[in-house]
Amino acid sequence: MLRYILSFLRIIATKMLQLLSSRKHLIENVLRIYIKTTSGSTLSIEIDPKYDIKQIKNLVASKIGAQPEELKIIFAGKELGDNIIIEECDLGQQSILHAVKIKRNVPTDQSSSKMKPLCEILDDEMFSSNITNSRSNSFSTDNEVINISNSVMLENSTIRSKKIHFYVYCPTCKDLKQGKLRVRCHFCKSGAFTVHADPQNWIHVLEPKQITGTCENNPELCKDILQNKEPTFAEFYFKCSEHISLGETDQAVPLDLIRPNLKQIQCMACLDTSDTIFAFPCPDDHVMCLDCFKQYCLTKLTERQFWQHPEYGYTLACPTGCPDSFIKEIHHFRLLDDENYNRYHHFAAEEFVLQSNGLLCPQPGCGMGILAEPECTRISCQNCKYVFCRHCRQGFHIGECDVVENNDTAGQNFSCESDMNYNNGNSGELASRTTIKIMTKPCPSCKTPTERDGGCMHMICTRAGCKFHWCWVCQTEWTTECMGDHWFG
Amino acid sequence: MTERSPSKRRLHRELLSLIKEPPPGVSLDAEQIEQNLFLWTIHLEGAERTLYEGESFQLQFKFSDNYPFDSPEVIFTGEHIPIHPHVYSNGHICLSILTDDWSPALSVQSVCLSIVSMLSSCKEKQRPPDNAFYVKTCNKNPKKTKWWYHDDSV
Repeated sequence: MLRYILSFLRIIATKMLQLLSSRKHLIENVLRIYIKTTSGSTLSIEIDPKYDIKQIKNLVASKIGAQPEELKIIFAGKELGDNIIIEECDLGQQSILHAVKIKRNVPTDQSSSKMKPLCEILDDEMFSSNITNSRSNSFSTDNEVINISNSVMLENSTIRSKKIHFYVYCPTCKDLKQGKLRVRCHFCKSGAFTVHADPQNWIHVLEPKQITGTCENNPELCKDILQNKEPTFAEFYFKCSEHISLGETDQAVPLDLIRPNLKQIQCMACLDTSDTIFAFPCPDDHVMCLDCFKQYCLTKLTERQFWQHPEYGYTLACPTGCPDSFIKEIHHFRLLDDENYNRYHHFAAEEFVLQSNGLLCPQPGCGMGILAEPECTRISCQNCKYVFCRHCRQGFHIGECDVVENNDTAGQNFSCESDMNYNNGNSGELASRTTIKIMTKPCPSCKTPTERDGGCMHMICTRAGCKFHWCWVCQTEWTTECMGDHWFG
Repeated sequence: MTERSPSKRRLHRELLSLIKEPPPGVSLDAEQIEQNLFLWTIHLEGAERTLYEGESFQLQFKFSDNYPFDSPEVIFTGEHIPIHPHVYSNGHICLSILTDDWSPALSVQSVCLSIVSMLSSCKEKQRPPDNAFYVKTCNKNPKKTKWWYHDDSV
């Protein structure tokens, strides 16, 4: 009896296991991908990630009426060899492979590394350095060594350990995500493109026209139009690894300074050693963990110490003052939360206006950027309709500006009509405007209202682009006379 | 450990490393600091073969939640304030790394070493020329003073 029950239980258990595993089989092992052919058609096929390229060719050939030997399968800038397994290719759901029909049946060397997917060739070490050109040569020899030793190791673990990590800001997920490198023709943007050489570093990937290739979409057309004036170049771009591809236009911004912490470097701020780091573009390997990097950005943002770089925009440099260490890709500041990222944009726009010799509307709550002719002194804000004097930022007046004194009546005397209307419905704004007038003095150089919160009379303009040294008492540039006479009032 | 704020983690690590390998002439009361990680008192010994040989001083470090992005507030405290052209009699120190040139890569240890080296390179013991005026009028917090760093050699 007991034996009977036991065997019955065993049957149920195996049935359940089968059910579970078959369900797992269903969920895990179907990959829906698209095959784009050069004739312009797109096939949707469902495959097992364990398929190899040979099987894909057979499947596609039968659908488009070609021989499997006539087909090339191209993915991320590489023609894939027949024995490559799909799951080695870093393909996500709804990825696109390109099938190209070749005219002559040229036997290709399937064993060469040329036929390997890009993600199998690149590794983190190649992309871990800022100074790339001189060091990339030595890295490629290192890679050969790594490849040899890897082939001895278990296949599974080599795939895991070698897989390169790219980090991106994904506009769809609205977050920092891992990314995948993809390739297309610089000219016609077709993904049916093979590279002549693999990228070796960030410069190859980020800068345009670094690596040549062959556009398989319509080689004659691309060549014709370019009239052989320049070779056909590859264009690299990134996709988010974490959401299902939304098609060819679904791209993500590469955050090249966020990297795996290969050398196990401590965060310069909290001294922890984390797996993912922000590496400043400086030769000294200064890094921060991502939490401290966010804190650094937030601190500098609040202090208005970001710098308006002529080429990169509103950005930061390595906090230790390393030369030429400005962050080039300003999407790194996307690591700030939405509220602070908006503040970042706001400040950046203000700084841009000020550096272009523009003005910011002095009305509290407005701050509209205004670009006016330099000789024009009567400035009228399009946003809040406030009309003010370019020099003293008070309501517009004829004649000399009043010396800026904390004199309330002076301020009221020349408020014009539209100004009054504006303030009528808004007593809070008026109150804060009055407060700013009483509590602050403008920087003599850039007119930024500045509050003196105790301390000495030697003021340094807090705006990163200004930094003017001035005297709170004289409201002119700070001198040794000021220090001798009224340093502390 | 992981639940501490980044500034606490950082201060704790700095404390451990200073206990383990204190630089010459620098010592601290670890138990007292454990009570309040944001306020440290550090004992300094004047280096040998300098004007301050045989003297001992106390430095007080105050840290904010935003350390190490904010510089610490560092002053001499206690009975004995060194007589030095960059040290005011109220303990305030005129040293650029404490304000304008602060960087998160600096630490309690590097600040202590800079102060020891500032003392060691002194050739004549004297107060800053504007000492009386400064001490009478300045803010309690030395970071509220904008210093002009004219002479880096002293």
